[in-house]
Amino acid sequence: MRVNIDLPVKEKELRELHLGDIIYLNGLIITARDQAHKKIIQLNEKGNLPNSLKNLEGSAIYHCGPIIRENKGDYEFISGGPTTSQRMNSFENEVIDILKVKFIIGKGGMKSLNTKNYRVIYLSLTGGCGAIIQKKVKKIVNVELKTLGICEAIWFLEIEDFGPLIVSQINEKSLYDQDF
Amino acid sequence: MSKRSEDFKRKIQKVLFRTIKRATTQAPDEIVKSLNRSLNAEDSEIAKAQLELMLENFAYGAQNKIPICQDTGILNFFIEIGSEFPIITNFKDIIDKTVVKATRTIPLRANSVDPLTNKNPESNLGINVPPIYTDIIDNDANLKITILPKGGGAENISKLFMLNPADGLHIFQQKIIESIKKAGGMPCPPIILGIGIGGDATLCMKLAKKALLRPINLRHQREDVANLELLLLDKINALKIGPMGLGGRTSCLDVHIELAMRHPASFPVGLIVQCYSHRYAYFKMNEKGEIIDEG
Repeated sequence: MRVNIDLPVKEKELRELHLGDIIYLNGLIITARDQAHKKIIQLNEKGNLPNSLKNLEGSAIYHCGPIIRENKGDYEFISGGPTTSQRMNSFENEVIDILKVKFIIGKGGMKSLNTKNYRVIYLSLTGGCGAIIQKKVKKIVNVELKTLGICEAIWFLEIEDFGPLIVSQINEKSLYDQDF
Repeated sequence: MSKRSEDFKRKIQKVLFRTIKRATTQAPDEIVKSLNRSLNAEDSEIAKAQLELMLENFAYGAQNKIPICQDTGILNFFIEIGSEFPIITNFKDIIDKTVVKATRTIPLRANSVDPLTNKNPESNLGINVPPIYTDIIDNDANLKITILPKGGGAENISKLFMLNPADGLHIFQQKIIESIKKAGGMPCPPIILGIGIGGDATLCMKLAKKALLRPINLRHQREDVANLELLLLDKINALKIGPMGLGGRTSCLDVHIELAMRHPASFPVGLIVQCYSHRYAYFKMNEKGEIIDEG
């Protein structure tokens, strides 16, 4: 079944999704890799979380370290497919509590992700498909933690028709081999 | 430096840039064909959706001349220089300058990070990178440089096994299958495996990496090695890991094995894992500085 979802997602829409569904997202998402995850937890502990990260309820974290071209303060999205999600295993559940996002987009799945009762849903995007994602990113809206470098920074992306995304971990069910 | 060697240097720099661009923005035809065969072999909607996006992405990247994968990897350089080729110096300088230019203009992702400080000079240069492997070819007058951008996801599955010679040949298959099974979708399957058997720890890994440069479906010339390649290929596809680890018939596009004589006390096996987005490109120049082959 093909489903289109506008972000922020509504609770009702989440509960209508099933393992193996193919979905497409529209709206605002952020990129974050391991360094950004670590930093979000540290900033939150100190009460210094930037305001831009406080308005992401119902949105998505995209595990991605893109290639961005920078021209005098303007950013151009060049290429950015998903990165291996397992690297974020030790941080993700806490970061979801902080940001209240409802989707994690990445590749390879996440062993320790708590998806109980539709708390969050893991969506798989085809790895290596960096170029085609350029077509689906309409705008770079903002960037945070740029001191971590282009690849590790948090990029706020306005996306359209972002997919195909496979619902692969939902409400404690997973498409990935259980002992991965 | 003489005018002649300056002239060569300039020519190499120019063709090297073009080769880096091709290696990061285009998938070789053999990979496109191989993924098309996989697409025809799959029944599951999820597996098909993965393969279709992979092929669509290859086409979009090539058309727009942008990196097909954002992970433009560590650029590995394989230099084969004929003993009769006129210049043999300054390759490191030529490569460094071209890598900086490619990083800024294609652009590539800056992938060199100091392992202790985590500092990234955003240039793809730094301590001991990019890796350059040089072979001198006797009685040859050409220069061939092959570029293999090696991404992190697949490389993280690579392994060295130092096995007991008494059971090495039996155990090694099991070790490789276990590693691939455990990795699941992480190395971006359908994968390609390079395996080096024998030599020492360094040599088997080097052979494994070089084995990736052999074209898909080209078997080792020794029959027993060729049979071992096909046996492993079948066993890995039987795992049903599928495209991106989401299940399916295609988990591996090919297995390439290279051999070296081993020490009586050692049975080293090197495993280098490559993603489906297996990019590499090369050029060949003759002693007059003319490009005689590119691909």
